[in-house]
Amino acid sequence: MTLSLEIKKLKRTGYFPAFIGAGFIASAFPVINMLARAQTFTALSGDPLTILMDANWQMMAMINILICVCGSCIMYHTEYADNGLQKMDVLPVRSGALFITKFVITALILAIIIVMETAVLAGCALHWFPGRGLSLWELLKTAGFQWLITLPTVMMMLVIASAWKNMWISLGIGVILVFALSILPQDLLILNLCPFSSPYQTYAMAVQNDRVSLFLILCPVETPGLGLLEMFYQKIRRCVQ
Amino acid sequence: MSFLSLTTVELKKIRRSWIMLILLIPVVIMWIPSVIYGDMNFDTRGIPITPENNFFIQGFMGMVWFMIPATLVIGTVLLTQTERSNNGILKMLSLPVSTAKLCLTKFMVLILLSFVQMVMTVAAYYICAAIASSMLDYNFFLEPLYVFRVALSIYAGAIPTAAVFWMIAILIHTPVFAAGIGLASIVPSVLLINTKIWFAYPMSYPFYLLMVEYGRCADGIYTSEIDWLPWLPTAVLITVLALGIACIRFGSVQKR
Amino acid sequence: MNMIETRNLTKTYGDFTAVSHLNMHIQKRRVYGFLGPNGAGKSTTMKMFLGLTRPTEGQFYIDGKTYPKDRMSILKEIGSFIESPAFYGNLTGEENLEIIQKLLGLPKGSVSDALELVGLGPFRKRLAKKYSLGMKQRLGLAGALIGHPPILLLDEPTNGLDPAGIHEIRTLIRSLPRQYDCTVLVSSHLLPEVELMADDIGILNHGRLLFEGTLDDLKASARNAGFPTDNLEDTFLAMIDADNQRGGR
Repeated sequence: MTLSLEIKKLKRTGYFPAFIGAGFIASAFPVINMLARAQTFTALSGDPLTILMDANWQMMAMINILICVCGSCIMYHTEYADNGLQKMDVLPVRSGALFITKFVITALILAIIIVMETAVLAGCALHWFPGRGLSLWELLKTAGFQWLITLPTVMMMLVIASAWKNMWISLGIGVILVFALSILPQDLLILNLCPFSSPYQTYAMAVQNDRVSLFLILCPVETPGLGLLEMFYQKIRRCVQ
Repeated sequence: MSFLSLTTVELKKIRRSWIMLILLIPVVIMWIPSVIYGDMNFDTRGIPITPENNFFIQGFMGMVWFMIPATLVIGTVLLTQTERSNNGILKMLSLPVSTAKLCLTKFMVLILLSFVQMVMTVAAYYICAAIASSMLDYNFFLEPLYVFRVALSIYAGAIPTAAVFWMIAILIHTPVFAAGIGLASIVPSVLLINTKIWFAYPMSYPFYLLMVEYGRCADGIYTSEIDWLPWLPTAVLITVLALGIACIRFGSVQKR
Repeated sequence: MNMIETRNLTKTYGDFTAVSHLNMHIQKRRVYGFLGPNGAGKSTTMKMFLGLTRPTEGQFYIDGKTYPKDRMSILKEIGSFIESPAFYGNLTGEENLEIIQKLLGLPKGSVSDALELVGLGPFRKRLAKKYSLGMKQRLGLAGALIGHPPILLLDEPTNGLDPAGIHEIRTLIRSLPRQYDCTVLVSSHLLPEVELMADDIGILNHGRLLFEGTLDDLKASARNAGFPTDNLEDTFLAMIDADNQRGGR
């Protein structure tokens, strides 16, 4: 029930169009890149999907992270702007459930755009690398992996967005985090596992470094862990306010 | 009402907004790793560049490609939100001030904020260079005149970028969208910088200017001459156009 | 002499008519009570006077000037207070007024003057977002009164005030024409309130002016039309009701 209610709240906020729009922008990268300099990439040997991911995923992941930042801000802005959240607090709903529903919605729409992006990558692979092979299973594994490792970021950003009534503070913090973790050296494992940094990892890279299982274990642990932070925060807020 | 006193009014409006902190944090985040990884400046990976130049360029790199444009985007959100959150804009529009002037002073504040960040960045550079120098026993300092010239040129190059973001913030009424589009537009600059049409994409100007500086310090990395000809007229045109549209549209949503 | 005059002033939003062929006459140095139920078009009319929204049809003249040609010089003469108070939450009450003072080019003393006038003196250093509803309302009023403009547009100025506050503001508005030689247009949806403040009354319903004149005129015309007259509230309700019956909508 809360899920449909939360989705209703997002009506006319532009939340869903924004995600789909971001999906299109991210998907445009590999296409434009291939249109502009196909030779550079087709000359490379190896798996086409890996080549395409290596060339484009950094930017695509960044767009994905940025839309999660903006999306979380929209979600909580609608709550705070006209004191909607205050009303929610006095209704018999658990605020924890509210938060989790918001996470579920973001995770679902993120899954849609990641599938979209992977489909475009597959299309590029088929068009520009004919006859070089493309396995559906690999594709699914890639999409699933990229989705899973983005979830901690989604969770953390929602926690941040829920913590500040003034949207632009949340936005500012989100953007600074995006920036800070994108410039830190990528060869440190511990940093790779952080929210806002893990989404840049590609499946192929993880396979190569034998880190797939590490990510598959840690990210699903990190996500609810960060969620606990929110529960904790809500407890504090209730005491303080 | 003179432009100057209008600007002081606008500056007053952003009191207690924590904007200085938002300007400072990226500067700090930017320079701390460059001190921690100070010794990496000696490993130039075959690029013919001196460690002190490497320190300077690498430190500014993250700043120009993402953080300068991103702070501009956040600045525009701040400026529009302070007006809209409690309907302050309604009061402004019913006072005898020209809307175009109001719009331009707000843009001035944006530029001013960006220059405050520039001063912070330069200060942070010198502090970090001092720390790194004593840690690694190597002189990382560059001439102040050079540092200021480069920093100033980069931030001046960000003016057209700011104009475009300001236009976006005014045209798109939902602040999150304005910010989202602004932020998303930064990402491709890393691609466009290597193409022939970089000059038509204002978000890549600060990055371009630093890359040229990189090219001057390290042979063959990038061009060492600024292509003034297609760039300057395009940049001026974009700035004038963006500010013109912004001034025309400013406050019009309230004036339905 | 009419300070504000409108000729067939009309505003439509799509197929909704907010204000329809309005002909108002507001005389100099008088308090004009603008009366009407919620959504009658009072705020829209005031917004048009301030150039916050463009008339679809018709014109208005303020002190002989017209919009959009003389927007700036019209605004120089008007102090306004429109709808929910407009302010900057991150600034104190005093700082909010300082902004207006600077933009209007008024002397520095006018800020504390205005604060005292509305009784916000003791709270000048408090952030506007921490103000109570009544204090926000007073801050909005101070922003209108600052510098004693010759024309005042006040949109439901007593909203959110307590009875003592309502009385205080009412007395203040009542005294303005004599004290500062100004013309006041004040809107309300409460007739008893308007009765106590205004010299002239205009009644608006669904964007149309049902009546314009003095209180005595109102009583006389109500008597002629067969509306109850012993209680003005009933008169007003009966007029609105009759208009709604006639298909004012």
